Amino acid sequence: MRLHPMTSLAAAGSTAVITTAAASWPLSLTVIAAAAGLSVAGGVARRMLPAVAVILAPLVLSLLAMHGLFFPEGTTVLVRWGPARVTVEGLHFALERAAQLSAAVLVLLLCSFTISVPDLVAALSARGVHARFAFVLASTLTLLPAISSRLGRIRQAQEARGLVIRPGIVGRAGAFRWQAVPLVLSLVEEAGTRAAALQARGFGSAGQHTSYRAVQDSPIQRWVRLVLVLAAVAAIAARLWQPTAGAS
Amino acid sequence: MAGLDVAFAAGSLTAVLGGSGSGKSTLGRLLAGWLLPGDGGTLTGFLELAGTRLRFTGTAADPRIDPGSWGRQVGFVPQDPSAALSTVRATVAEELAFGLENAGIDRATMAGAVRHAAALTGLTRLLNRDPATLSGGQLRRLAIGCAVIARPAVLIMDEPFASLDTDGAEDLAALVRKLVQDGTAVVILSQRADAFLHNAGTWLVLAGGTVAAAGTPAEVVAAGALELAGVVRPRPDTGPRPLAEAGFPPVVDGPPALELRDVSFTYRGTQRRGWFRAQPGPPADPVLHGLSLTVSAGEILAVTGPNGAGKSTLLRHLNGLLQPTAGSVLVRGRNIGGQPAGRVSGDVGLLFQQPRDQLFERTVEREVRFGLERGQLAADQAVRQALAAVGLEHLAGRHPAELPASQQRLLALATVLARRPPVLALDEPTVSLDGHGLAALDRVVRSTTAEGAAVVLVTHDLDYARSIAHRLVRIEAGRLLPAD
Amino acid sequence: MSSPSLTLPSPATARNRRLLETLGALAIAGTYIYLVLNQPADITGGPGSASALIALSGFLVGAVLLIVGVLPTLPVSTLVLIPVALVLNIVLGQFVGSTLVPFYLDAIGTVLIAVLAGPAAGAATGALSSIVWSFFNPTVLPFAAGAALIGFLAGVAARHGLFRRFYLAPVAGFLAGIIGGVVSAPVAAFVFGGTSGLATGAIVSAFRSMGDTLLAAITKQALISDPMDKAIVFTLVAVLVYALPRRTRLQFPFVRRHRVLAGTAISQPTGESTGKSAGQDA
Repeated sequence: MRLHPMTSLAAAGSTAVITTAAASWPLSLTVIAAAAGLSVAGGVARRMLPAVAVILAPLVLSLLAMHGLFFPEGTTVLVRWGPARVTVEGLHFALERAAQLSAAVLVLLLCSFTISVPDLVAALSARGVHARFAFVLASTLTLLPAISSRLGRIRQAQEARGLVIRPGIVGRAGAFRWQAVPLVLSLVEEAGTRAAALQARGFGSAGQHTSYRAVQDSPIQRWVRLVLVLAAVAAIAARLWQPTAGAS
Repeated sequence: MAGLDVAFAAGSLTAVLGGSGSGKSTLGRLLAGWLLPGDGGTLTGFLELAGTRLRFTGTAADPRIDPGSWGRQVGFVPQDPSAALSTVRATVAEELAFGLENAGIDRATMAGAVRHAAALTGLTRLLNRDPATLSGGQLRRLAIGCAVIARPAVLIMDEPFASLDTDGAEDLAALVRKLVQDGTAVVILSQRADAFLHNAGTWLVLAGGTVAAAGTPAEVVAAGALELAGVVRPRPDTGPRPLAEAGFPPVVDGPPALELRDVSFTYRGTQRRGWFRAQPGPPADPVLHGLSLTVSAGEILAVTGPNGAGKSTLLRHLNGLLQPTAGSVLVRGRNIGGQPAGRVSGDVGLLFQQPRDQLFERTVEREVRFGLERGQLAADQAVRQALAAVGLEHLAGRHPAELPASQQRLLALATVLARRPPVLALDEPTVSLDGHGLAALDRVVRSTTAEGAAVVLVTHDLDYARSIAHRLVRIEAGRLLPAD
Repeated sequence: MSSPSLTLPSPATARNRRLLETLGALAIAGTYIYLVLNQPADITGGPGSASALIALSGFLVGAVLLIVGVLPTLPVSTLVLIPVALVLNIVLGQFVGSTLVPFYLDAIGTVLIAVLAGPAAGAATGALSSIVWSFFNPTVLPFAAGAALIGFLAGVAARHGLFRRFYLAPVAGFLAGIIGGVVSAPVAAFVFGGTSGLATGAIVSAFRSMGDTLLAAITKQALISDPMDKAIVFTLVAVLVYALPRRTRLQFPFVRRHRVLAGTAISQPTGESTGKSAGQDA
């Protein structure tokens, strides 16, 4: 059976919140391992890997370099190069933060890679208030892949007119206007047409809306969602109640 | 727009004809409730629909149209059907149902309506496809399906036949006949008086925002109003015509303007489309198999063939946008392999199908001047001549994006002409040109070849190809065949 | 009058969503003040999660309240532009973020909407941008409040005519960047314990090597990166907006009413006849 999109969302969200609240590296590592295992089991690991690398590599490297080399609060100095001093406390802080953030990022990415966007949109729309938010989300996800092919088309059309993009930042900045103007102009005009089309099809009007797509849900999932949300709230409350509990 | 007085009866077919910028689209949008009085314009007069008359005086006290309920009575299909889709529905069926969902109709009724609309528009087999993967003709039928699913009394279509190949146009014609039989008043806005439109009960010719002529097709044709308004009149289909200027004398001295030697092309690997979403996407460009071709200076070569046969892929090889996987492309005897397209562009001017992608400046004049030597007298002259050649010299100060489609194409053509390339490559040059635009295109093609340029044009319009080309080749599944 | 089915009831009833907007703004401001005043000592010492949770939840709740308050009041014509803006933000932001430049350029779409449709739309777009982007990059989620603030400030700058002169746009961007950077710094400090980029991380490290606390170092880094970044973004948006044809610019009521852009002057002082020039082109 397929999970209701709200259930995946609740599971990912509360896991991320609880991991952040607990701030314990064994838990963070467990969550990372679980997310990795689930992504392999779900067959999304190959698609997820580049995204994870692009997000986490700079984050983790930046944390390690920043706190590993410069940590004025650190006392146990391992190595010292000029102004830089590698301290145990700095490395510990960097690794702990890296594990905690990686856990949250992995869980949330796993959710967005496994969730069915149309189901999510239908589930959000069914809740009335969120129809406009669902539109923004789904429309962005639809437009994104189309943009790269459209940019490619514009670039070709302009190269045919004699535009040579020089390598490097300066060249690219110079080309920005030539490529961005046709792109933005066509997107804005298309949006104008789309607005009229959507209004003519009743979008934005008040009144009861229905959904053509049926999203499976079950009482068990409803209970699970409730428990997950309560658990996340409890974790936050516990942490705020005892800010330093479990400090390592 | 002024002094318009139009009425459409149930079960009738009306064609509103007019050149680019004549006010057809504005009229269509106004009638369909897409252009609401008050946002950016004023409307005076009245609109009457299904027994309700709304009177507008151009003041704040005017009634405000509810686009949603108006849209259930009047359906509109814009020129670009993909802009009419919601972009938030994952399948064709859900896209069709979008309007019904917003009206709060229950699921069982929706399913019935979706089946009916799909059967009507021939989308039944595609109901579970992602709308982003549909072809142009299928997208247009989907947009029509979305407009008719609520069974409106009136259906207005803006240039529905543009850029459809013969099969697509026949499907659409059958669909329109069915709708008219079912009692829908169908209004078609067009700048071409296509054969199918001769079935219409009434023709309405617009020029400069007013009705220039009205009546049955025969009456309008007899009055000669079409030519004046810039409406394109395709010649009646009388079978294959001989080439207008067959027997081009080959130029003997010097290398040919353009030569393709055994050019083959296949896409290597798959392009990464970002990690956001695994999307099937449109099919990759077709491949080419061992094409050889020579075009002499002063010659006009037309390349024809069905959609997806590789016509545009071939054209992109001429200026280095695509590099052949085997074989070579020579421009005036020089191999252009490995050079970026921007450098070849001085020798080969390529006009794309979508003029909008090529235009980015603030004024028409600056647009044409782009890439020429700054402040040179010669550049001034080149700009003037190029604009005069396409008949846009009176619009030099306008913003390119504000021009009607036909003039945008002519402007894109002028930007290419200003650099006086020895080879001119045109991708579907006739699409979206009105009568005046076609005449300008004809003049340009003939005068540039008379001055010694070679022209390669790719078109699905065999009739046009025969009327202008010295030589015709046909491309099918990536292979060149001699035409007929 | 005529049948009610084809027309809307005259003047649309403007729902009073001000309360939600105010609550959202208060949540963001309150969270920031709390974080700065309390300067939680656990930032580099203890688990640091209490302040991370406060920063996350306070800013997120504020951003969500803003969205809930603003989104239903936007006309559909503005609503369909928001995905376009988000796409611009994400494509440029993702690209620039992967280079070694200490800028983000992830607010072009937000500022564009703010200039065309006003501060409320700008704020909602900023917040939505972070939330939707977090679908592929969860690390931007905590910055929703900062992005909303930039959208709001850009709209305010546009309303007061700072986009009428080309040289004023970068100045407005610079000022907005200072405010936005200062507000976003605690998120970077408490939630990430640093920054998410390599180039920005290097700047923070430099300040840390001089003995600054983490929050101070990150705030200083934000004061270097953000104003420059936003000055660039505002300038690029000005370039884009002035490249749009007059008719497209004038189709936005906010641009007409507040004379946001030079060359959109209206001869009559009343707002009613503003659309005429646009209509006549058609």
